[in-house]
Amino acid sequence: MDSSILFGIATLAYLIAMVLYISYLAFRKDGVGLAASIVTYAGLGIQTIALLMRWYESYQMGIGRAPLSNLYESLVFFTWSTVLIYVIVEYKYKTRAFGAFVMPVAFLALAFINVAPGIKADITPLVPALQSNWLLYHVFLSFISYATFGVAFAVSLIYLLMDTEERGPVVNFGYAAGALVVLVPLGHFFAGAGMMLKVFFWIGLGALAIAWFVYLVVAGARNKPQVYLFWSVCVTLAAGLLLAMGIDFLLYEIKGHLTEESFRKHLFESTFLSASQPVVAFSWAAVLSFFWLVWSQGMRLKAILKQFMPTQELIDDLTYRMIAIGWPLFTAGGLVMGAVWANSAWGTYWGWDPKETWSLITWFIYAIYLHARYVRGWKGTQMAIISAVGFIGVIFTYLGVNLVLSGLHSYGGME
Amino acid sequence: MEQQKGIVEIVSEKVWKFFSSVKLAVVLLIILAIVSVIGTVIQQNEPPEKYLQEYSAATVQLFEAIGFFDMYHTWWFVLLLFLLTANLTICTLDRFPRTWSIITARLKPIDDEGLKAVPFKKEIIFKGGMDKAEARASQALQAAGYRYLVSGGPGVHHLYSQKGAYSRLGVYITHTSIILIFVGALIGTFFGFKGFLNLAEGEPSNKVFLRNEPMWDKITAAFGIGEQKVIRDPRVGVPSMPLGFIIRCDNFEVDYYQNQGIPTGMPKEYYSILSVFDLEGRPIIDQRRIVVNDPLTHRGITFYQSSYGMIPGASGKIVLTVRPKNEASPGELVVLDPGASTYVRSIDRTIKAVGMAPFGYRDPATGQVRFLRSEELINPTVELEVYKGKSLLYKTYVMKADSGEPAMPENYTIRYDDYWGARYTGLQVTKDPGVWVVYTGFILLCIGPLIAFFGSHKKIWVRILDRKGHASITVAGSANRNRLGFEREFNRIAEKIAK
Repeated sequence: MDSSILFGIATLAYLIAMVLYISYLAFRKDGVGLAASIVTYAGLGIQTIALLMRWYESYQMGIGRAPLSNLYESLVFFTWSTVLIYVIVEYKYKTRAFGAFVMPVAFLALAFINVAPGIKADITPLVPALQSNWLLYHVFLSFISYATFGVAFAVSLIYLLMDTEERGPVVNFGYAAGALVVLVPLGHFFAGAGMMLKVFFWIGLGALAIAWFVYLVVAGARNKPQVYLFWSVCVTLAAGLLLAMGIDFLLYEIKGHLTEESFRKHLFESTFLSASQPVVAFSWAAVLSFFWLVWSQGMRLKAILKQFMPTQELIDDLTYRMIAIGWPLFTAGGLVMGAVWANSAWGTYWGWDPKETWSLITWFIYAIYLHARYVRGWKGTQMAIISAVGFIGVIFTYLGVNLVLSGLHSYGGME
Repeated sequence: MEQQKGIVEIVSEKVWKFFSSVKLAVVLLIILAIVSVIGTVIQQNEPPEKYLQEYSAATVQLFEAIGFFDMYHTWWFVLLLFLLTANLTICTLDRFPRTWSIITARLKPIDDEGLKAVPFKKEIIFKGGMDKAEARASQALQAAGYRYLVSGGPGVHHLYSQKGAYSRLGVYITHTSIILIFVGALIGTFFGFKGFLNLAEGEPSNKVFLRNEPMWDKITAAFGIGEQKVIRDPRVGVPSMPLGFIIRCDNFEVDYYQNQGIPTGMPKEYYSILSVFDLEGRPIIDQRRIVVNDPLTHRGITFYQSSYGMIPGASGKIVLTVRPKNEASPGELVVLDPGASTYVRSIDRTIKAVGMAPFGYRDPATGQVRFLRSEELINPTVELEVYKGKSLLYKTYVMKADSGEPAMPENYTIRYDDYWGARYTGLQVTKDPGVWVVYTGFILLCIGPLIAFFGSHKKIWVRILDRKGHASITVAGSANRNRLGFEREFNRIAEKIAK
């Protein structure tokens, strides 16, 4: 028996747990909920053993290192810490309502790793710079904090949904969809039309997005339909990105590695950046219709969830607690230990490489969250929005930098 | 007589107010977060040709002018960081006295006015007299770990207690840590440097080439004051600086991960053996081994193992050990050039190194020696011919990592030791006198938030009033953090008193 079989069993356990948690929401039978919890505990236990075994196996292979150093292992570890934190929250808050949201993420992440052969499961040796005890602490604490931020994100989205009384007029959706319909071809055009235009287009788009975030944070509490729109965008973004990347992985593998180029060059090539116009059009149409589905059906989801969810205050408090735990861990493990390690390896504790910079940006966003809460006494909607934006930063720090940008932290990449 | 405020006072007051606002901090954080993105999208510090490949000439010019290619060191980015630090400092100075007076304030017994402002309250009627009630209350407080003060007069007893007042310092510790990190970074740029040194095996150096000159030297150079340490030789192009001692690379080696005893070409570890001498040549450090993650420091200057490479056109020396088979003996060291031969006295043979390949290996199945093309010395393999006088006795191959046994027909063995002098070690050299300030900041940055988020300044008051032989007990409490947790604790204590 080796670790990969155990990982398979854990994946299966998470699948069963996911089904049970969703049926718990649908049928509201306590027995089902209890079964869901037990299966989750079992899955977590098995995954823990599997992680330890993988560690042991690496020693047997004469490599000897903690299972935390490539994309495969970091995704497995991310899943593990998310489930662990979920289990703690379930126990502490005595509610199983969040299970139906967390377990699908855990299952999809594990299944995705297993299905996509682009992510190598082999225990590969480490380059000398990574052979440090700091690696273990740095990556371990970073991922625990990512997981707490992830839970905070999920809970914030639930808060935003619960916060909405009505979805607002169709005009709202029309604006958002219209913006997409206009921006997509424009972006497509500019992407091919010389560097200057491209740069300005993306900067402009970024500025628009940031302006919207700022507006939501400042005035969002009064404009609930806008917040609901933001919620729909977040859900679409999270689901859409995962799906598009999944398709990329699979096609990349089916086509085979014709060139020696890395996967990151091919990101979104099978969907949004495809060479074939109909595929691009179809991808964006799919995003739009998914967006519409989320936006139009959200209130129905809310009606179902309402019967299970604890009070709004509790959800808000949970978000805060997750960030209050995650932020110090991220500070100590992600930033400080990373800096100390870099200093012992390269003689520079801070080099502004993209991953460092993005983790600093994420750190800033959560710092804003904490200051808004402590100094200004903000609660509720605005906080949930900042928390959601913060997690977009986390996702970019974790995946975006490795896949899109380049730098010293290439170990998480696809090569 | 009222004094009119001078213009200086008004302006300084305004400036102080501006810098002490949290709004400014949040705005600066938002701006920094947004601006930082640019530098992650545009690759930093690339050669100009690369930018011209990616952007049009006009864009390159524009970006160059704004400083987007080395954004994190532009004056405006540093100014933003500086503003944030100034904001933090002044915020801290502005608020600290108030916090400190809250921390050091003597806790007073609670009165009716105070009771109105307290978030947690409980009224209990205790049938048993005031002294018994006080004993109860003191027991409950002690059990919960509160050390309390007592006061009172006729018909009224007060017990009051506080815990965790110093947790209010958590936020100041956090902010101070960030200020320290910034100050440490400034000390580093002013008085430290970053440089590099490529040393061939056996090569000494008394200077280092600079990437970042110490800012202080730049400033003194601009004013023409002070002693100039940086040497700007137009023939070299890169500024350099004397070390004040001599560093020598004695040896450099790379070990590769192996698969079935054959190196794979993926480096497992590389290391340099360095020796340090003073300027007169007296040895100070003898043969220290440095690897990635484990540097050597001498007089504040640290040498990091960072890269390596072959010296173009250089030929090294082959180092072999010849040892008798059935005798414990250190053997005889043989050093020869590729293609040359030498007479080995201890075995009365002449050894000729016919050829030298960077990557040879012994096929585990056939025992045949094969060669792969490589620029690096992955598994140096030497083809040897052994002569007695003029007559060839046998041929054999020796290599660094051998998956089998080389043919050694006579009663001695020849072992491959080194191919010395063809490689250089790439050292990153830095001096950063601010790093300990930064590290102190790091430690505080790890501690501060924990105290700030998980510590709580908790206060509990118990007032006992005489009501015709019974005691009317009022329990009140407040906490500045984690109210939900405190509420549970408060209820436990109140219950214990009431029971």
